[in-house]
Amino acid sequence: MAEEFNVDGMLDMFLYESGQLLEKLEGIILEKQDADCFDDTDINEIFRIMHTIKGSSGIMMYENITRVTHKLEDVFYYLRESHPENVPHLELVEKVLAVSDFVNGEMDKIKDGEKPDGDEKEILEDLDNFLKRIKGEIKEQGIRLPRENKHEEPTQFYIAPVASEDSKFYRIVIHYRNDTQMSNIRAYSATYALKEIAEDLLYTPEDIISNEESANVILSEGFYMLLQTKSEKDEILSLIDSAEANQIDIERITAEQFIKGFGGVTQPEEQKIVIDLGEEPPAEKKEKAVTPGEYVIKAKETGKGKTLAKNQPKQQSIISINVEKMDMLMDLIGEIVIAEAVVLQNPDLNGMDLPNFQKASAQLAKITTELQEVIMSMRMMPLTNVFQKMRRIVFDVSKKLGKEIELEVIGETTEVDKNIIEHISDPLMHLVRNSVDHGIETDAEERVALGKSAKGKITLEARNEGGKVYIIVRDDGKGLDKQKLFEKARDKGLLGSKDKEITDYTDNEIYRFITLPGFSTKEQVTEYSGRGVGMDVVVKNIQSIGGRLEISSELNKGSEMRLVIPLTLAIINGIVIQAGNSSFVIETSSVKEFVRLTENSIVTEPDGEEYIILRGEAYPFLRLSRRFELDNALEKVDDGIVMVLEHENTQVCVLIDKLVREQEIVVKPIPSYVKKVKGISGCTQLGDGSIALILDIGGLIHDEERG
Amino acid sequence: MKTLLAEDDFASRKFMDKYLSQYGECDVTVDGEEAVDAYMMALEDGEPYDLVCLDVMMPVLDGYQVLKAIRDIEAERGITKDQRVKIIMTTALNEERNVKKAFELGCEAYSGKPIDVDRFEQVLRKLGLI
Repeated sequence: MAEEFNVDGMLDMFLYESGQLLEKLEGIILEKQDADCFDDTDINEIFRIMHTIKGSSGIMMYENITRVTHKLEDVFYYLRESHPENVPHLELVEKVLAVSDFVNGEMDKIKDGEKPDGDEKEILEDLDNFLKRIKGEIKEQGIRLPRENKHEEPTQFYIAPVASEDSKFYRIVIHYRNDTQMSNIRAYSATYALKEIAEDLLYTPEDIISNEESANVILSEGFYMLLQTKSEKDEILSLIDSAEANQIDIERITAEQFIKGFGGVTQPEEQKIVIDLGEEPPAEKKEKAVTPGEYVIKAKETGKGKTLAKNQPKQQSIISINVEKMDMLMDLIGEIVIAEAVVLQNPDLNGMDLPNFQKASAQLAKITTELQEVIMSMRMMPLTNVFQKMRRIVFDVSKKLGKEIELEVIGETTEVDKNIIEHISDPLMHLVRNSVDHGIETDAEERVALGKSAKGKITLEARNEGGKVYIIVRDDGKGLDKQKLFEKARDKGLLGSKDKEITDYTDNEIYRFITLPGFSTKEQVTEYSGRGVGMDVVVKNIQSIGGRLEISSELNKGSEMRLVIPLTLAIINGIVIQAGNSSFVIETSSVKEFVRLTENSIVTEPDGEEYIILRGEAYPFLRLSRRFELDNALEKVDDGIVMVLEHENTQVCVLIDKLVREQEIVVKPIPSYVKKVKGISGCTQLGDGSIALILDIGGLIHDEERG
Repeated sequence: MKTLLAEDDFASRKFMDKYLSQYGECDVTVDGEEAVDAYMMALEDGEPYDLVCLDVMMPVLDGYQVLKAIRDIEAERGITKDQRVKIIMTTALNEERNVKKAFELGCEAYSGKPIDVDRFEQVLRKLGLI
């Protein structure tokens, strides 16, 4: 498909996103076609997919798609709100597939540059009847009908350009006969003739009209043109008046060559890109956000080549790579790093003096490290684009709700793995919407009364800490009301047991209620949030990439949602240590310091818990030997080394036997046949072929806290 | 419908001018600065435009700057969202980031070039201009 990419970025995006959503939709449907009914998760998901396609097709003005998806969204809206029984499942499956086929068919038409002109009436009628029956069913079952699912007309539209062929690029060189009079004027007529078909035209010499001297240059060196057009060679040739020409060379060139202009063609000093495209190298262009003023055309100087740009040359220096191949490459690099360790730390080398081998191995180590970095950087993308989307959401939603909100963005250039970006965009969107909608007070006076500024503030922050990416959405709004959350969860029957009290739960557990499907405390459901689709999806998406959601809040001060996501560094810098007969790896970034201490610095609580007093501060103390029941490990603090480890601002001291070395560690998951052990996040193979376990500091600390 | 068209490319300008003129008066500027001036002038005279069509790549001020300027002026004068002028960007830059930016800055529609006239008309209708 990559070759067929449409010139229109917006259209591409729509087709790609909708295509993905439809694929997902069909996956759900096909998986559940033989089941008795869809479960809540499926209904939520289908609802969300329809909602998204409805929205984007609205902007793209594919009205039949909008109408059909809207209708199906309605159906699922009622299913979700009222949970009616006896929904004819098979029929519902058929309906969803019919919609999916319809949208797919229309999208195929769009891809082929046709108009999506499919007639949606039949499907709409069909769905309408179905919906009526469901509504009847709902009433019969004595469930109150929920509010109508409100449909907002889109307020912004995108008009796709008339589909057109790809542009071609040519370099044209005309050599006139030596006795040609006024060759500059002839050259001008050639440019004039080509303007008819040109999307962009550059030529040199530039000053053919104003400078008669240019005639001599043209005679001696020839007249060079770069042309961007949709026409074929023959047509170009026929347009150029060849009366006085000796020779006309027309050569197809690539877009890059075109962008480079005449550099290297004739006169190297000529740089002829007239439109200021921001001067950025093409490869980076896609990522950068547009800023007003970026597209100002510099004033044309007299005599400079004029450009008729209607089309930016296509960026062909970017290739798309199948992510699977990237993953494979990543795995292979991991294997190389291990193989390297096996060679360089081979026990056979012990005690040998091999200066040349050392040199060669240092070189090898350097190259493998570089290789890794390149691979990682290929997969890394800044969060800029994702954050950009959030700005838009805050802007839209706050305008819509009539709230004045300031958005502060911190650390948008933080880079994370591409896979992760794909997974966090949706969750983040929900969090931001929630903050705008539910977090910030509707009434500015309410805020002022609480001593806050009338303008709400939302902070979006990303940072990189200890191999994890933190993405934080913070608002200074109402904060979460524990009492309300608890009551709501109880009323919705989400607590499991009816007679639990609010005091049975920690703050954190209460905040977690909002992540349950179908939970929404907002009485007034708005267009943007409050339907209870969202927080459960957020948590699911985040967990699927090994991250977690942390919530903290203070009533009337605001809430903070933190997404904590691994960088998916499959290769980390780690310190290999030994405790007893086992080797462990600790990520270098979480090690604060190594200290040697004596028994005196240990304080033992009556319940056996141990603390270390270090420079007047107490740290929890942990013996790996006891924690993991290791044999032959040192028991006396005097003999071993104490490592101070840090995780999310909590420290813990760990006693180990000895330090082995620091090296690059390829993280392998613990095989599934090994029981999940708290405090261990993975394993790796060391140079001598032995296996070392990777310590999960967070797990260690949490376990310690719980006692 | 009173329209302001800002477009520096002669061929596009001629085409759009002709097209838009069928719906009413169409003023034409060739760069961004002039477009803002024209908008202000119409506003001062109490005969504001109903529609502004902006090219993106223009001399002096680009389409985004003009769009922002107009929205800023409106905000400053307390013109409400339903009363403000409808703005359609007309440009060949149709990468997603370009479009998103324009929407973010508050245009009503974004039309890629070459312009799909049927669609364009449809949008004018949806925006309640014709």
